[in-house]
Amino acid sequence: MPFREINSKMVEATVQPGAKIFSQRGAMLAYKGDVSFTPNIQGGQGGLMSMIGRRAAGEATPLMTVDGAGTVLFGHGGHHIQVITLAGDTLYVEADRLLAFDGTLQQGTMFMGSQGGVMGMVRGQVSGQGLFTTTLKGHGAVAVMAHGGVVEVPITPQRPVHVDPQAYVAHHGDIRNRLSTALGWRDMVGRGSGEAFQLELSGAGSVYVQASEEKL
Amino acid sequence: MNPNVSTPAGAPAVFDPMTLPSDDNVNAYTFCVELKGSQWFLQKGKMIAYYGRMEFNGIGHGRLDRLVRTSFHSPLHASDWVVAEGQGKMLLADRAFDVNSYDLDEGNLTIRSGNLLAFQPTLALKQSIVPGFLTLIGTGKFVAASNGPVVFMEPPIRVDPQALVGWADCPSPCHHYDHGYLTGVIGGVRALTGIGGTSGEEHQFEFVGAGTVLLQSTEALLPEQASGEVPRQAGVPGAGSAPGGAGQQSGAPRLPGQLGDLQRRFGL
Repeated sequence: MPFREINSKMVEATVQPGAKIFSQRGAMLAYKGDVSFTPNIQGGQGGLMSMIGRRAAGEATPLMTVDGAGTVLFGHGGHHIQVITLAGDTLYVEADRLLAFDGTLQQGTMFMGSQGGVMGMVRGQVSGQGLFTTTLKGHGAVAVMAHGGVVEVPITPQRPVHVDPQAYVAHHGDIRNRLSTALGWRDMVGRGSGEAFQLELSGAGSVYVQASEEKL
Repeated sequence: MNPNVSTPAGAPAVFDPMTLPSDDNVNAYTFCVELKGSQWFLQKGKMIAYYGRMEFNGIGHGRLDRLVRTSFHSPLHASDWVVAEGQGKMLLADRAFDVNSYDLDEGNLTIRSGNLLAFQPTLALKQSIVPGFLTLIGTGKFVAASNGPVVFMEPPIRVDPQALVGWADCPSPCHHYDHGYLTGVIGGVRALTGIGGTSGEEHQFEFVGAGTVLLQSTEALLPEQASGEVPRQAGVPGAGSAPGGAGQQSGAPRLPGQLGDLQRRFGL
């Protein structure tokens, strides 16, 4: 468990020799010990093909690798930070929300259309994820940024969760998501409730929701 | 926050002049100062409300000359500060940033000028040698804002310049440059072509010695308050190109992330 939350906007990471941490460039606040920061051309893990994939998918955020021995404090832009621990499952998150993550996690890119075809792509547009999203898989911890505080909402098979697409941060577990619309004639004449689109998540896992509808 | 006020669960606390705390936080974002005929220095625009009879006078006010002479040593900063005096309680806040008070006992603390909200006249305010920072010396209380709670760390530590709020009791920081990734063959290619960009962490403030370093948990800055220019004089840091001083600084502004300057700095 390399990340320790110091307060709602700051995490402390312990770096040990041989264990790498990826972090967003410029997100280091302070460090102790002998730690080096190297800009990562590939923007994360995998080889050249992963890099090209990320570039093409628009999921390439400027990352740097952090290695050495010491402790590093991370924080960025006054955003709230949520540390999510993964135990073998997959986290779906936008790449620009990633503050830092364990080098042991496997990073990938997912096409939104692969979950629900055209509706998946529409969903990506509405929730601001675009056509692609980043996946992190394995055992380790991820520090995710959000605007405003973060609430973890558990999802059980009996109880699907509806989330405002703008407040959606990330989700993990075995989740199916669907865009549910509540469009009526009121929306057509401009008298809608402003909540015409919702993400419906069902399955087993949890979804992280931010207390703001502002994007990063 | 305030134990004297009992409220039904979830309801916001309602304060009146009696229940407002005296020289303490009302909540994380608001600080209440009690004046009993005493004076406080505060930065313009940070007072959000007050009870009682109070006067706010600019530093230039003739009656305050003596006070300013003893505890305000930043003449060019004077237009940003006012003196509050009278009877009552006033609330200080700054754009929903976290506000905290700090007590100094025969001590010194240097703080980013934009983060300082108010201080007692028993403290003396001086401009730090590091541009953009102010030093408080003496005994008394001051109020400072930070984006997110302040984290206290002990040296040795290297701090991102934007995350630094201030430091107490330790020697002034020095610059530290991390350029390890710009060496070697790959680093050379990177430095020459700019491929791969920069890590954004080449430059830190390094603190050594005994003391405390104050960090804010974000890199979003409060806007810099003009802390007054230092006299243009040889040997004064931050005074621009002093007459007869080193003239190797070119006038062109450097874009962030641009490698040219680093290259020159590391002699690549």
